[in-house]
Amino acid sequence: MIHNTFAALGDATRFAIVEKLLKEGEMPAGSLQDVGSISPPAISRHLKVLREAGIVEQRIDKQRRMYSVRPQAVRSIGEWALDYREFWQTSLDRLETALLQEGDEL
Amino acid sequence: MSVLRIERSFPVSPEKVFAFVTRTEHLLKWWGPEGVSMKEHDLDLSRPGAWSSTLVNSAGALHKMSGEVVTVDPPNSVEFTWGWHDDEDRRGYETRVLFEVRPDGNGGTVFVLTHSGLKDEEAAANHKLGWTSSLRKLEQFPELQP
Repeated sequence: MIHNTFAALGDATRFAIVEKLLKEGEMPAGSLQDVGSISPPAISRHLKVLREAGIVEQRIDKQRRMYSVRPQAVRSIGEWALDYREFWQTSLDRLETALLQEGDEL
Repeated sequence: MSVLRIERSFPVSPEKVFAFVTRTEHLLKWWGPEGVSMKEHDLDLSRPGAWSSTLVNSAGALHKMSGEVVTVDPPNSVEFTWGWHDDEDRRGYETRVLFEVRPDGNGGTVFVLTHSGLKDEEAAANHKLGWTSSLRKLEQFPELQP
């Protein structure tokens, strides 16, 4: 599941689509065309990938398909991003600083 | 299952390193990444028994983890279990952490951290580190906050 999410966001255009949807909120596919100046069919394909990865959802509003980001999808990425290696590497950097700051008392 | 191993050298005594990686007042100085603060804790790794800590990032997202200190052998090693909690406070699968402290022969200390029992994808660090800054960017949007 999380792998699909990363794979989907690994494309620069799709990442830009997600960013734009997050910044500007729900919008129809047509409003996304200035993202990397690509064709409507290409936008549709990217949106399909993002929907299949559970990152973006679609809703029909009258005749239009409206797209938005599923907050829980991105939140789960954020939580996952605080992974073990990152946790320990950054913590140990701080440990080193703390150890060196406090002389050799103890 | 795979293992994450990190080794660091510190130019201070093993006793001092051991104190810094086991005692509450020292752990609070470094536990967790930069930019994250400790919301709640029961963080004493100098004796067997339960530990827990809840970190909160600048956007208010919580990261809770807990476990049990299994063995303490000062000033050489301490071993404890670890599990992340999800949004509903359910504890995830359990992993195991070993801190080892030994003299480097020159008055300094070699510190070795071994985090074992990880699911393979969580140890695939290269895959992930490059992602972190991008994801941070996404995380900052207010509508993503709980």
